[in-house]
Amino acid sequence: MDDAALVAATVSGRRDAFDVIVERHRRVVYQVCYRFVSNHEDASDLSQEAFVRAWRGLKNFKGRSALSTWLYRIAVNVCLNRVSAKTPPTEPIESTEPFEDTRIESAQRTLLREERAAAVRRAIAGLPKKQRATLILRTYHDMSHQQIADILGSSVGAVKANFFHALANLKKILGREP
Amino acid sequence: MNHLTSDELIDAMEGMLDATRQQHLDACEACRRELAELSSVLREARALNVPEPSPLYWQHFSERVRTAVDAEALPSGGWPRWLRWPALVPLAAMALVVIALMVSAPTPVDPPAAVAAVDANPGDVALAADSWVMVADLVGDMDWDTASAAGLVVEPGDAEWAVLELSANEQQELTRLLRAELLRAKS
Ligand SMILES: [Zn+2]
Repeated sequence: MDDAALVAATVSGRRDAFDVIVERHRRVVYQVCYRFVSNHEDASDLSQEAFVRAWRGLKNFKGRSALSTWLYRIAVNVCLNRVSAKTPPTEPIESTEPFEDTRIESAQRTLLREERAAAVRRAIAGLPKKQRATLILRTYHDMSHQQIADILGSSVGAVKANFFHALANLKKILGREP
Repeated sequence: MNHLTSDELIDAMEGMLDATRQQHLDACEACRRELAELSSVLREARALNVPEPSPLYWQHFSERVRTAVDAEALPSGGWPRWLRWPALVPLAAMALVVIALMVSAPTPVDPPAAVAAVDANPGDVALAADSWVMVADLVGDMDWDTASAAGLVVEPGDAEWAVLELSANEQQELTRLLRAELLRAKS
């Protein structure tokens, strides 16, 4: 069953069709939210809220965009409304490297790398909301400038400008980090 | 020639820079450095991972969403989605007040439309616009906080005010439902 059929079934009262929509899209919605807040608890709450809003709004979903794009838009809006620019990541940062590498590298180097990753997360968390949203959608979700513009309700020009300023700000902030 | 603009730097990062500007980039140390620094920041950002939750978590997540959505679902009985019962209860109460006032009014020359509507053939769906406005006015004046405290309204909010801005069809449907409710209360 494709997304359009699931939407139609949900709107016609098939409650279980919405369960399938959730199952199909929960991971990517969670990932968007996690990128905004950098911790599991908040990402989980925000994702749940996004799906509840999707449920409320589904009867108004016109199918002009893909369901996934529409869900992205809801998730991003939930995050933008809830997340404050000063939210710091609260979860310990895990190493992204496979275990074997830690045997080769000195513990000190690993630690430095983790500290740097934490600094990058903090810098992203400190970006203005639109810049952060643009960076997240472009970098981690491979969206085109046009798709991001649709989701954020802005122009392609504004998306490119926000993307540039996001990177330039990160460069500035991280340049000051040890 | 001018250095790359911010747009062009983004294009360059994404391999979309046009040929003439690419020539500038190839020849310009400053632009190449700027591009390298931005690309390096992007690489660092891209390397950040999202920890993958367990399969058990996803199952739990779906259940949480289901519970939250079930809490939102309408009670059965065929009421349209736009007409949530928290809005309907005070409206029905107001309609009763309107009718009580009209019935007790001294020697009405013409029976007011709302009274006529209650006694009318159930197939007749029209309620006079004046009566509608009166119901809307009364509801508009209602103290929702008090109503909420009294348990009349579960979640006072936009839904209540939205009722005052219904389309003609929705007004008709509300009228029909209110009348059915009133007839049931009378019997
Ligand atoms: Zn240059």
